[in-house]
Amino acid sequence: MTDRQPRPLPHVRYLLLHAYGRGGTIRTVMNQANSLVAAGWSVEIVTAVRRRDDIQFPLDDRVKVSTVVDMREGAYTPPSGLVARWRDRKRGDLLEAPARYIPKGEFGYRYFNRYVEDRLIAYMRSLTSGILVTTRPALNFLSAEHATGGVVRIAQEHMNLGTHKRDVQQRIQETYPRFATVAVLTERDRDEYAELLPGTRVIRIPNAVHSLDQVPADPTSKIAVAAGRLFPQKGFDMLIPAWAKLVETYPDWQLRIYGSGEKKSELRNLIEEHHLYNHVFLMGHTDRLDDELAKASFYVLSSRFEGLPMVMIEAMSHALPVVSFDCPTGPSDVLTHGVDGLLVAPEDPDALADAMAKLMADEVLRADMGVAAVLTAASYGPDAVHHRWESLFTSLHEQRHGATAAAVATKGTHA
Amino acid sequence: MRGKPHAEITEVWPRDGHIRLVGRIHGHPADGVWRLVLTRRARAGRRLSYAAEVKGDRFESALPVADLAAADYAPVEEWDIHLTDGEVELRAGKHLDDVRGKKKIFVYPEQRIGNLSVRPYYTIKDNLSLECRTGGTA
Repeated sequence: MTDRQPRPLPHVRYLLLHAYGRGGTIRTVMNQANSLVAAGWSVEIVTAVRRRDDIQFPLDDRVKVSTVVDMREGAYTPPSGLVARWRDRKRGDLLEAPARYIPKGEFGYRYFNRYVEDRLIAYMRSLTSGILVTTRPALNFLSAEHATGGVVRIAQEHMNLGTHKRDVQQRIQETYPRFATVAVLTERDRDEYAELLPGTRVIRIPNAVHSLDQVPADPTSKIAVAAGRLFPQKGFDMLIPAWAKLVETYPDWQLRIYGSGEKKSELRNLIEEHHLYNHVFLMGHTDRLDDELAKASFYVLSSRFEGLPMVMIEAMSHALPVVSFDCPTGPSDVLTHGVDGLLVAPEDPDALADAMAKLMADEVLRADMGVAAVLTAASYGPDAVHHRWESLFTSLHEQRHGATAAAVATKGTHA
Repeated sequence: MRGKPHAEITEVWPRDGHIRLVGRIHGHPADGVWRLVLTRRARAGRRLSYAAEVKGDRFESALPVADLAAADYAPVEEWDIHLTDGEVELRAGKHLDDVRGKKKIFVYPEQRIGNLSVRPYYTIKDNLSLECRTGGTA
Protein backbone atom coordinates (compact mmCIF):
# COMPACT_ATOMS: atom_id res chain seq x y z
CA MET A 1 0.00 0.00 0.00
CA THR A 2 2.79 2.42 0.88
CA ASP A 3 4.55 2.33 -2.49
CA ARG A 4 1.44 3.38 -4.39
CA GLN A 5 1.96 6.33 -6.71
CA PRO A 6 -0.47 9.23 -6.29
CA ARG A 7 -3.08 8.73 -9.00
CA PRO A 8 -3.78 11.43 -11.52
CA LEU A 9 -6.97 13.30 -10.70
CA PRO A 10 -10.01 11.88 -12.47
CA HIS A 11 -11.83 13.90 -15.13
CA VAL A 12 -15.03 15.32 -13.58
CA ARG A 13 -18.16 15.82 -15.68
CA TYR A 14 -21.20 17.73 -14.48
CA LEU A 15 -24.31 16.99 -16.50
CA LEU A 16 -26.88 19.79 -16.50
CA LEU A 17 -30.24 19.90 -18.25
CA HIS A 18 -29.48 23.34 -19.69
CA ALA A 19 -26.11 24.84 -18.83
CA TYR A 20 -27.01 27.93 -20.87
CA GLY A 21 -29.93 28.81 -18.57
CA ARG A 22 -30.14 31.05 -15.52
CA GLY A 23 -31.34 28.86 -12.64
CA GLY A 24 -29.82 28.43 -9.20
CA THR A 25 -28.56 24.90 -9.89
CA ILE A 26 -26.71 26.08 -12.98
CA ARG A 27 -25.11 28.92 -11.09
CA THR A 28 -23.90 26.71 -8.24
CA VAL A 29 -22.53 24.06 -10.61
CA MET A 30 -20.55 26.78 -12.42
CA ASN A 31 -19.20 27.97 -9.04
CA GLN A 32 -18.16 24.41 -8.23
CA ALA A 33 -16.52 23.97 -11.63
CA ASN A 34 -14.59 27.24 -11.25
CA SER A 35 -13.28 26.28 -7.81
CA LEU A 36 -12.26 22.77 -8.91
CA VAL A 37 -10.52 23.84 -12.10
CA ALA A 38 -8.61 26.46 -10.10
CA ALA A 39 -7.47 23.67 -7.77
CA GLY A 40 -6.04 21.72 -10.71
CA TRP A 41 -8.91 19.39 -11.62
CA SER A 42 -9.99 18.65 -15.14
CA VAL A 43 -13.63 19.69 -15.26
CA GLU A 44 -16.23 19.52 -17.99
CA ILE A 45 -19.79 20.82 -18.00
CA VAL A 46 -22.06 18.81 -20.24
CA THR A 47 -25.42 20.27 -21.19
CA ALA A 48 -28.21 17.88 -22.17
CA VAL A 49 -29.74 20.51 -24.44
CA ARG A 50 -28.51 23.85 -25.68
CA ARG A 51 -30.94 26.66 -26.52
CA ARG A 52 -28.70 29.72 -26.24
CA ASP A 53 -25.39 30.91 -27.64
CA ASP A 54 -23.81 32.06 -24.40
CA ILE A 55 -23.32 30.80 -20.85
CA GLN A 56 -25.11 33.18 -18.44
CA PHE A 57 -22.72 32.99 -15.47
CA PRO A 58 -18.98 33.60 -15.08
CA LEU A 59 -17.14 30.42 -16.07
CA ASP A 60 -13.38 29.77 -16.05
CA ASP A 61 -11.96 29.30 -19.58
CA ARG A 62 -10.35 26.06 -18.48
CA VAL A 63 -13.74 24.43 -17.87
CA LYS A 64 -14.68 22.50 -21.00
CA VAL A 65 -18.31 22.85 -22.08
CA SER A 66 -19.98 20.31 -24.36
CA THR A 67 -23.47 19.77 -25.69
CA VAL A 68 -25.44 16.57 -26.17
CA VAL A 69 -28.37 17.97 -28.18
CA ASP A 70 -28.07 21.40 -29.80
CA MET A 71 -31.59 22.83 -30.05
CA ARG A 72 -30.59 26.24 -31.36
CA GLU A 73 -32.22 27.26 -34.58
CA GLY A 74 -29.90 26.54 -37.48
CA ALA A 75 -27.74 24.18 -35.41
CA TYR A 76 -29.19 21.19 -37.23
CA THR A 77 -28.91 20.91 -41.02
CA PRO A 78 -31.21 18.32 -42.54
CA PRO A 79 -29.00 15.86 -44.43
CA SER A 80 -29.34 14.80 -48.07
CA GLY A 81 -29.51 11.20 -49.32
CA LEU A 82 -32.21 8.61 -48.89
CA VAL A 83 -31.02 6.96 -45.67
CA ALA A 84 -30.16 10.28 -44.10
CA ARG A 85 -33.58 11.68 -44.95
CA TRP A 86 -35.22 8.65 -43.41
CA ARG A 87 -33.15 9.21 -40.27
CA ASP A 88 -34.12 12.86 -40.29
CA ARG A 89 -37.80 11.97 -40.36
CA LYS A 90 -37.22 9.54 -37.54
CA ARG A 91 -35.51 12.33 -35.56
CA GLY A 92 -38.59 14.50 -36.04
CA ASP A 93 -40.83 11.69 -34.79
CA LEU A 94 -38.61 11.11 -31.75
CA LEU A 95 -38.62 14.81 -30.88
CA GLU A 96 -42.41 14.55 -30.65
CA ALA A 97 -42.46 11.27 -28.70
CA PRO A 98 -42.64 11.32 -24.89
CA ALA A 99 -39.65 10.23 -22.81
CA ARG A 100 -39.66 6.62 -21.56
CA TYR A 101 -37.53 6.82 -18.44
CA ILE A 102 -38.65 10.13 -16.93
CA PRO A 103 -41.78 10.15 -14.75
CA LYS A 104 -44.35 12.83 -15.55
CA GLY A 105 -44.04 14.30 -12.06
CA GLU A 106 -40.43 15.40 -12.72
CA PHE A 107 -40.66 19.21 -12.86
CA GLY A 108 -38.40 19.13 -15.93
CA TYR A 109 -40.47 16.48 -17.75
CA ARG A 110 -41.53 18.83 -20.55
CA TYR A 111 -37.91 19.38 -21.57
CA PHE A 112 -37.45 15.70 -22.38
CA ASN A 113 -38.51 13.63 -25.38
CA ARG A 114 -37.42 10.36 -26.96
CA TYR A 115 -34.75 12.06 -29.05
CA VAL A 116 -33.08 13.89 -26.16
CA GLU A 117 -33.38 10.75 -24.07
CA ASP A 118 -31.79 8.50 -26.71
CA ARG A 119 -28.91 10.88 -27.27
CA LEU A 120 -28.30 11.18 -23.51
CA ILE A 121 -28.36 7.41 -23.11
CA ALA A 122 -25.84 7.03 -25.95
CA TYR A 123 -23.64 9.68 -24.34
CA MET A 124 -23.82 8.05 -20.92
CA ARG A 125 -23.03 4.59 -22.31
CA SER A 126 -19.88 6.00 -23.93
CA LEU A 127 -18.38 7.02 -20.57
CA THR A 128 -15.84 4.51 -19.27
CA SER A 129 -13.80 6.47 -16.76
CA GLY A 130 -13.72 9.55 -14.58
CA ILE A 131 -16.64 10.90 -12.56
CA LEU A 132 -20.13 11.85 -13.68
CA VAL A 133 -22.24 14.15 -11.51
CA THR A 134 -25.87 14.39 -12.59
CA THR A 135 -27.81 17.30 -11.21
CA ARG A 136 -31.55 16.61 -11.28
CA PRO A 137 -33.85 13.58 -10.94
CA ALA A 138 -34.43 13.03 -14.68
CA LEU A 139 -30.69 12.97 -15.37
CA ASN A 140 -30.06 10.88 -12.28
CA PHE A 141 -32.57 8.24 -13.45
CA LEU A 142 -30.89 8.00 -16.87
CA SER A 143 -27.43 7.82 -15.31
CA ALA A 144 -28.51 5.10 -12.87
CA GLU A 145 -29.74 2.90 -15.71
CA HIS A 146 -27.37 3.71 -18.56
CA ALA A 147 -24.04 5.15 -17.38
CA THR A 148 -22.83 1.64 -16.68
CA GLY A 149 -19.59 1.60 -18.68
CA GLY A 150 -17.23 2.26 -15.78
CA VAL A 151 -17.69 5.93 -14.90
CA VAL A 152 -18.06 6.68 -11.16
CA ARG A 153 -21.54 8.13 -10.68
CA ILE A 154 -22.80 10.74 -8.25
CA ALA A 155 -26.42 11.93 -8.07
CA GLN A 156 -26.98 15.47 -6.86
CA GLU A 157 -30.36 16.32 -5.32
CA HIS A 158 -31.27 19.99 -4.99
CA MET A 159 -34.79 19.35 -3.69
CA ASN A 160 -36.13 17.88 -0.52
CA LEU A 161 -37.77 14.49 -0.82
CA GLY A 162 -41.25 15.61 0.22
CA THR A 163 -41.35 18.20 -2.55
CA HIS A 164 -41.00 15.53 -5.24
CA LYS A 165 -44.14 14.06 -6.77
CA ARG A 166 -45.01 10.49 -5.82
CA ASP A 167 -43.83 8.96 -9.13
CA VAL A 168 -40.46 10.70 -8.79
CA GLN A 169 -40.03 9.48 -5.20
CA GLN A 170 -40.77 5.96 -6.44
CA ARG A 171 -38.07 6.16 -9.14
CA ILE A 172 -35.62 7.64 -6.63
CA GLN A 173 -36.14 4.66 -4.36
CA GLU A 174 -35.67 2.24 -7.27
CA THR A 175 -32.65 3.81 -8.96
CA TYR A 176 -30.57 5.86 -6.52
CA PRO A 177 -29.03 2.80 -4.79
CA ARG A 178 -27.00 2.32 -8.00
CA PHE A 179 -25.02 5.50 -7.34
CA ALA A 180 -21.64 5.56 -5.63
CA THR A 181 -22.94 8.55 -3.66
CA VAL A 182 -26.07 10.67 -3.46
CA ALA A 183 -25.21 14.29 -2.57
CA VAL A 184 -27.89 16.44 -0.91
CA LEU A 185 -27.93 20.03 0.38
CA THR A 186 -29.14 19.87 3.98
CA GLU A 187 -29.01 17.67 7.10
CA ARG A 188 -32.72 17.02 6.98
CA ASP A 189 -32.44 15.90 3.35
CA ARG A 190 -29.55 13.65 4.32
CA ASP A 191 -31.68 11.95 6.96
CA GLU A 192 -34.71 11.58 4.71
CA TYR A 193 -32.88 10.26 1.65
CA ALA A 194 -30.76 7.93 3.80
CA GLU A 195 -33.93 6.49 5.31
CA LEU A 196 -35.46 5.94 1.88
CA LEU A 197 -32.24 4.42 0.51
CA PRO A 198 -30.78 2.05 3.11
CA GLY A 199 -27.25 0.99 2.21
CA THR A 200 -26.72 3.92 -0.15
CA ARG A 201 -24.09 6.49 0.73
CA VAL A 202 -25.90 9.81 1.20
CA ILE A 203 -23.79 12.84 2.06
CA ARG A 204 -24.54 16.49 2.62
CA ILE A 205 -22.63 19.05 0.59
CA PRO A 206 -24.28 22.47 0.62
CA ASN A 207 -24.10 24.82 -2.33
CA ALA A 208 -21.60 27.64 -2.05
CA VAL A 209 -22.26 31.38 -2.17
CA HIS A 210 -20.32 33.13 -4.93
CA SER A 211 -18.20 35.16 -2.52
CA LEU A 212 -17.63 35.84 1.16
CA ASP A 213 -15.91 39.14 0.52
CA GLN A 214 -19.01 41.33 0.82
CA VAL A 215 -19.91 44.84 1.91
CA PRO A 216 -21.51 44.60 5.37
CA ALA A 217 -24.99 46.03 5.77
CA ASP A 218 -25.72 48.97 8.07
CA PRO A 219 -27.83 47.91 11.08
CA THR A 220 -29.28 51.44 11.38
CA SER A 221 -30.96 51.13 7.99
CA LYS A 222 -34.76 50.88 8.10
CA ILE A 223 -35.08 48.61 5.11
CA ALA A 224 -36.03 44.93 5.19
CA VAL A 225 -35.27 42.87 2.09
CA ALA A 226 -36.68 39.72 0.53
CA ALA A 227 -35.84 38.18 -2.82
CA GLY A 228 -37.12 35.44 -5.08
CA ARG A 229 -39.34 34.67 -8.02
CA LEU A 230 -42.82 36.19 -7.59
CA PHE A 231 -44.36 32.77 -7.34
CA PRO A 232 -46.47 30.97 -4.66
CA GLN A 233 -43.46 28.97 -3.38
CA LYS A 234 -41.81 32.15 -2.08
CA GLY A 235 -44.77 33.06 0.14
CA PHE A 236 -44.73 36.81 -0.52
CA ASP A 237 -48.54 36.59 -0.29
CA MET A 238 -47.99 35.88 3.44
CA LEU A 239 -45.19 38.41 3.89
CA ILE A 240 -47.25 41.38 2.65
CA PRO A 241 -50.12 40.89 5.17
CA ALA A 242 -47.51 40.33 7.91
CA TRP A 243 -45.97 43.71 7.08
CA ALA A 244 -49.44 45.29 7.24
CA LYS A 245 -49.50 44.50 10.96
CA LEU A 246 -46.27 46.45 11.53
CA VAL A 247 -46.78 49.54 9.44
CA GLU A 248 -48.48 51.62 12.13
CA THR A 249 -45.81 50.93 14.75
CA TYR A 250 -42.91 51.24 12.28
CA PRO A 251 -44.07 53.77 9.65
CA ASP A 252 -40.52 54.76 8.66
CA TRP A 253 -39.54 51.20 7.66
CA GLN A 254 -39.86 49.79 4.17
CA LEU A 255 -39.90 46.30 2.73
CA ARG A 256 -38.23 45.71 -0.63
CA ILE A 257 -39.03 42.54 -2.52
CA TYR A 258 -36.64 41.74 -5.40
CA GLY A 259 -37.58 39.43 -8.24
CA SER A 260 -39.98 39.09 -11.13
CA GLY A 261 -42.61 36.51 -11.89
CA GLU A 262 -46.12 35.56 -12.84
CA LYS A 263 -47.75 36.57 -9.53
CA LYS A 264 -46.72 40.22 -9.71
CA SER A 265 -50.20 41.67 -10.27
CA GLU A 266 -51.71 39.53 -7.48
CA LEU A 267 -49.03 40.78 -5.09
CA ARG A 268 -49.62 44.35 -6.26
CA ASN A 269 -53.33 43.92 -5.48
CA LEU A 270 -52.46 42.66 -2.02
CA ILE A 271 -50.27 45.73 -1.44
CA GLU A 272 -53.16 47.99 -2.48
CA GLU A 273 -55.72 46.09 -0.43
CA HIS A 274 -53.59 46.59 2.71
CA HIS A 275 -52.69 50.19 1.73
CA LEU A 276 -48.98 49.39 1.77
CA TYR A 277 -48.03 51.27 -1.41
CA ASN A 278 -45.85 53.64 0.61
CA HIS A 279 -44.06 50.87 2.50
CA VAL A 280 -43.82 47.64 0.50
CA PHE A 281 -42.20 47.73 -2.92
CA LEU A 282 -41.94 45.18 -5.71
CA MET A 283 -38.48 46.10 -6.93
CA GLY A 284 -38.33 43.84 -9.99
CA HIS A 285 -35.25 41.95 -11.11
CA THR A 286 -31.85 43.43 -10.31
CA ASP A 287 -28.40 42.63 -11.69
CA ARG A 288 -26.87 44.11 -8.55
CA LEU A 289 -28.45 42.12 -5.76
CA ASP A 290 -25.25 42.33 -3.68
CA ASP A 291 -25.52 46.14 -3.58
CA GLU A 292 -29.22 45.99 -2.77
CA LEU A 293 -28.76 43.47 0.07
CA ALA A 294 -26.14 45.72 1.63
CA LYS A 295 -28.69 48.57 1.92
CA ALA A 296 -31.00 46.62 4.23
CA SER A 297 -30.68 45.73 7.91
CA PHE A 298 -32.41 42.33 7.85
CA TYR A 299 -33.53 39.67 5.37
CA VAL A 300 -36.92 37.92 5.36
CA LEU A 301 -37.60 34.45 4.01
CA SER A 302 -41.32 33.69 3.72
CA SER A 303 -41.11 30.56 1.54
CA ARG A 304 -43.48 27.61 1.76
CA PHE A 305 -40.53 25.34 0.91
CA GLU A 306 -36.92 25.61 -0.20
CA GLY A 307 -33.97 23.42 -1.13
CA LEU A 308 -31.13 25.40 0.35
CA PRO A 309 -31.99 29.12 0.13
CA MET A 310 -28.81 30.58 -1.35
CA VAL A 311 -29.94 34.22 -1.47
CA MET A 312 -30.61 34.02 2.27
CA ILE A 313 -27.03 32.83 2.83
CA GLU A 314 -25.75 35.55 0.51
CA ALA A 315 -27.68 38.08 2.62
CA MET A 316 -26.01 36.64 5.73
CA SER A 317 -22.61 37.12 4.11
CA HIS A 318 -23.52 40.85 4.10
CA ALA A 319 -24.06 40.70 7.89
CA LEU A 320 -27.83 40.66 7.58
CA PRO A 321 -29.74 38.75 10.25
CA VAL A 322 -32.65 36.68 8.95
CA VAL A 323 -36.30 36.28 9.88
CA SER A 324 -37.52 33.03 8.36
CA PHE A 325 -40.33 30.52 8.34
CA ASP A 326 -39.02 27.18 9.55
CA CYS A 327 -40.09 25.59 6.24
CA PRO A 328 -38.68 22.42 4.70
CA THR A 329 -35.76 22.54 4.09
CA GLY A 330 -32.80 24.77 4.57
CA PRO A 331 -33.60 27.60 7.01
CA SER A 332 -33.24 25.42 10.12
CA ASP A 333 -30.12 23.83 8.62
CA VAL A 334 -28.45 27.20 8.30
CA LEU A 335 -29.95 29.36 11.06
CA THR A 336 -29.62 29.09 14.82
CA HIS A 337 -32.74 30.68 16.30
CA GLY A 338 -31.84 33.68 18.44
CA VAL A 339 -28.22 33.76 17.27
CA ASP A 340 -28.04 34.72 13.58
CA GLY A 341 -31.76 35.02 12.97
CA LEU A 342 -35.26 34.17 14.11
CA LEU A 343 -37.06 31.00 12.97
CA VAL A 344 -40.84 30.99 13.25
CA ALA A 345 -43.65 28.50 12.63
CA PRO A 346 -44.06 27.91 8.86
CA GLU A 347 -46.86 29.66 6.97
CA ASP A 348 -47.78 31.72 10.04
CA PRO A 349 -47.87 35.44 9.05
CA ASP A 350 -48.54 36.57 12.65
CA ALA A 351 -45.44 34.80 13.93
CA LEU A 352 -43.44 36.27 11.03
CA ALA A 353 -44.71 39.77 11.91
CA ASP A 354 -43.80 39.33 15.60
CA ALA A 355 -40.26 38.23 14.72
CA MET A 356 -39.78 41.11 12.29
CA ALA A 357 -41.05 43.54 14.95
CA LYS A 358 -38.49 42.18 17.38
CA LEU A 359 -35.65 43.03 14.98
CA MET A 360 -37.15 46.37 13.91
CA ALA A 361 -37.38 47.45 17.55
CA ASP A 362 -33.78 46.62 18.39
CA GLU A 363 -30.82 47.99 16.46
CA VAL A 364 -28.31 46.34 18.79
CA LEU A 365 -29.96 42.97 18.22
CA ARG A 366 -29.74 43.51 14.45
CA ALA A 367 -26.05 44.37 14.72
CA ASP A 368 -25.23 41.40 16.97
CA MET A 369 -27.16 38.89 14.90
CA GLY A 370 -25.62 40.35 11.75
CA VAL A 371 -22.13 39.58 13.00
CA ALA A 372 -23.21 36.03 13.86
CA ALA A 373 -24.75 35.72 10.38
CA VAL A 374 -21.39 36.45 8.69
CA LEU A 375 -19.79 33.68 10.73
CA THR A 376 -22.54 31.25 9.73
CA ALA A 377 -22.23 32.18 6.06
CA ALA A 378 -18.50 31.42 6.17
CA SER A 379 -19.11 27.67 6.07
CA TYR A 380 -20.92 28.19 2.73
CA GLY A 381 -17.97 29.96 1.14
CA PRO A 382 -16.52 28.67 -2.14
CA ASP A 383 -13.40 27.26 -0.44
CA ALA A 384 -15.22 25.49 2.39
CA VAL A 385 -17.54 23.78 -0.08
CA HIS A 386 -15.16 22.84 -2.86
CA HIS A 387 -12.92 20.94 -0.42
CA ARG A 388 -15.86 18.66 0.30
CA TRP A 389 -16.28 17.89 -3.39
CA GLU A 390 -12.56 17.31 -3.79
CA SER A 391 -12.42 14.82 -0.96
CA LEU A 392 -15.54 13.03 -2.22
CA PHE A 393 -14.13 12.71 -5.74
CA THR A 394 -10.74 11.62 -4.46
CA SER A 395 -12.14 8.99 -2.12
CA LEU A 396 -14.49 7.54 -4.76
CA HIS A 397 -11.72 7.47 -7.34
CA GLU A 398 -9.33 5.78 -4.90
CA GLN A 399 -12.03 3.30 -3.98
CA ARG A 400 -12.65 2.38 -7.60
CA HIS A 401 -9.00 2.05 -8.59
CA GLY A 402 -7.55 1.30 -5.19
CA ALA A 403 -9.91 -1.68 -4.82
CA THR A 404 -7.83 -3.80 -7.18
CA ALA A 405 -4.56 -2.65 -5.68
CA ALA A 406 -5.85 -3.24 -2.17
CA ALA A 407 -7.12 -6.69 -3.13
CA VAL A 408 -3.69 -7.60 -4.55
CA ALA A 409 -1.98 -6.23 -1.47
CA THR A 410 -4.27 -8.24 0.84
CA LYS A 411 -3.59 -11.45 -1.10
CA GLY A 412 0.13 -10.71 -0.88
CA THR A 413 0.02 -10.50 2.90
CA HIS A 414 -1.80 -13.80 3.20
CA ALA A 415 0.47 -15.68 0.79
CA MET B 1 -31.10 66.83 -9.43
CA ARG B 2 -30.14 66.10 -5.82
CA GLY B 3 -29.28 69.68 -4.96
CA LYS B 4 -32.02 71.34 -6.98
CA PRO B 5 -34.90 72.82 -4.93
CA HIS B 6 -38.01 70.65 -5.19
CA ALA B 7 -40.85 69.17 -3.13
CA GLU B 8 -39.56 65.73 -2.12
CA ILE B 9 -42.49 63.32 -1.87
CA THR B 10 -42.35 60.77 0.95
CA GLU B 11 -45.90 59.39 0.91
CA VAL B 12 -48.76 59.28 -1.56
CA TRP B 13 -52.18 58.20 -0.28
CA PRO B 14 -54.84 57.69 -2.95
CA ARG B 15 -57.72 56.75 -0.66
CA ASP B 16 -61.38 57.50 0.01
CA GLY B 17 -61.83 59.84 -2.95
CA HIS B 18 -58.77 61.95 -2.13
CA ILE B 19 -55.11 62.02 -2.95
CA ARG B 20 -53.07 63.04 0.07
CA LEU B 21 -49.40 63.95 -0.36
CA VAL B 22 -46.73 64.11 2.33
CA GLY B 23 -43.19 65.31 1.78
CA ARG B 24 -40.41 67.74 2.54
CA ILE B 25 -39.48 71.09 1.00
CA HIS B 26 -35.95 70.58 -0.23
CA GLY B 27 -33.32 73.18 -1.09
CA HIS B 28 -35.52 76.21 -0.34
CA PRO B 29 -36.58 77.99 2.89
CA ALA B 30 -39.86 76.48 4.03
CA ASP B 31 -41.31 79.50 5.84
CA GLY B 32 -44.29 81.36 4.44
CA VAL B 33 -47.64 80.10 3.22
CA TRP B 34 -47.55 77.22 0.75
CA ARG B 35 -50.15 75.83 -1.60
CA LEU B 36 -50.32 72.70 -3.69
CA VAL B 37 -50.82 73.53 -7.36
CA LEU B 38 -51.94 71.20 -10.13
CA THR B 39 -51.45 72.21 -13.74
CA ARG B 40 -53.08 70.41 -16.62
CA ARG B 41 -50.30 69.53 -19.03
CA ALA B 42 -52.39 69.93 -22.20
CA ARG B 43 -53.81 73.33 -21.07
CA ALA B 44 -51.23 75.17 -19.00
CA GLY B 45 -53.76 77.84 -18.00
CA ARG B 46 -55.98 75.36 -16.21
CA ARG B 47 -54.87 75.20 -12.56
CA LEU B 48 -56.16 73.79 -9.30
CA SER B 49 -54.83 74.97 -5.96
CA TYR B 50 -55.11 73.63 -2.40
CA ALA B 51 -53.87 74.69 1.03
CA ALA B 52 -50.73 72.92 2.24
CA GLU B 53 -49.88 72.43 5.89
CA VAL B 54 -46.18 73.05 6.55
CA LYS B 55 -44.32 72.27 9.78
CA GLY B 56 -40.58 72.78 9.66
CA ASP B 57 -39.79 71.54 6.14
CA ARG B 58 -42.54 68.89 6.19
CA PHE B 59 -45.61 69.55 4.07
CA GLU B 60 -48.92 67.80 3.71
CA SER B 61 -51.81 68.49 1.39
CA ALA B 62 -54.79 66.72 -0.16
CA LEU B 63 -57.12 67.11 -3.08
CA PRO B 64 -60.50 65.56 -3.91
CA VAL B 65 -60.26 63.38 -7.02
CA ALA B 66 -63.64 64.73 -8.21
CA ASP B 67 -62.03 68.15 -8.84
CA LEU B 68 -60.08 66.63 -11.73
CA ALA B 69 -63.19 66.01 -13.82
CA ALA B 70 -63.53 68.18 -16.92
CA ALA B 71 -65.86 68.19 -19.90
CA ASP B 72 -63.17 68.77 -22.53
CA TYR B 73 -60.92 65.80 -21.66
CA ALA B 74 -59.01 63.75 -24.16
CA PRO B 75 -59.06 60.01 -23.28
CA VAL B 76 -55.80 60.49 -21.34
CA GLU B 77 -54.86 63.70 -19.53
CA GLU B 78 -52.00 64.48 -17.19
CA TRP B 79 -51.69 66.92 -14.31
CA ASP B 80 -48.30 67.98 -12.94
CA ILE B 81 -47.90 68.75 -9.25
CA HIS B 82 -46.06 71.71 -7.72
CA LEU B 83 -45.76 73.37 -4.33
CA THR B 84 -45.71 77.18 -4.31
CA ASP B 85 -45.28 80.01 -1.81
CA GLY B 86 -46.43 82.56 -4.38
CA GLU B 87 -42.88 83.27 -5.51
CA VAL B 88 -41.31 79.93 -6.48
CA GLU B 89 -42.93 76.79 -7.83
CA LEU B 90 -41.26 73.62 -6.63
CA ARG B 91 -41.93 70.50 -8.69
CA ALA B 92 -43.08 67.51 -6.64
CA GLY B 93 -40.96 64.41 -7.11
CA LYS B 94 -38.73 61.83 -5.50
CA HIS B 95 -35.04 62.49 -6.04
CA LEU B 96 -33.32 61.89 -2.72
CA ASP B 97 -33.50 58.10 -2.37
CA ASP B 98 -31.46 55.31 -3.97
CA VAL B 99 -34.24 53.70 -6.04
CA ARG B 100 -33.79 53.72 -9.81
CA GLY B 101 -36.72 53.23 -12.15
CA LYS B 102 -39.38 54.64 -9.82
CA LYS B 103 -42.11 54.67 -12.45
CA LYS B 104 -42.36 50.88 -12.25
CA ILE B 105 -41.56 50.42 -8.54
CA PHE B 106 -43.64 53.09 -6.77
CA VAL B 107 -47.04 52.21 -8.18
CA TYR B 108 -50.24 53.58 -6.63
CA PRO B 109 -53.84 52.45 -6.77
CA GLU B 110 -56.32 53.97 -9.15
CA GLN B 111 -59.45 55.75 -7.92
CA ARG B 112 -62.64 56.11 -9.92
CA ILE B 113 -65.26 58.83 -9.85
CA GLY B 114 -67.98 58.16 -12.42
CA ASN B 115 -66.17 57.35 -15.65
CA LEU B 116 -62.98 59.14 -14.56
CA SER B 117 -60.01 57.07 -13.36
CA VAL B 118 -57.13 58.82 -11.59
CA ARG B 119 -53.74 57.37 -10.72
CA PRO B 120 -50.67 59.16 -9.30
CA TYR B 121 -47.44 58.09 -11.03
CA TYR B 122 -43.78 58.97 -11.25
CA THR B 123 -42.57 60.26 -14.60
CA ILE B 124 -39.34 58.89 -16.12
CA LYS B 125 -37.69 61.94 -14.54
CA ASP B 126 -38.99 60.85 -11.10
CA ASN B 127 -41.48 63.71 -10.82
CA LEU B 128 -44.99 63.08 -9.51
CA SER B 129 -47.95 63.57 -11.82
CA LEU B 130 -51.55 62.40 -12.06
CA GLU B 131 -52.91 60.39 -14.95
CA CYS B 132 -56.62 60.78 -15.71
CA ARG B 133 -58.47 58.48 -18.04
CA THR B 134 -62.05 58.78 -19.14
CA GLY B 135 -63.86 55.58 -20.01
CA GLY B 136 -61.09 52.99 -19.58
CA THR B 137 -58.82 52.35 -16.60
CA ALA B 138 -55.81 54.47 -15.74
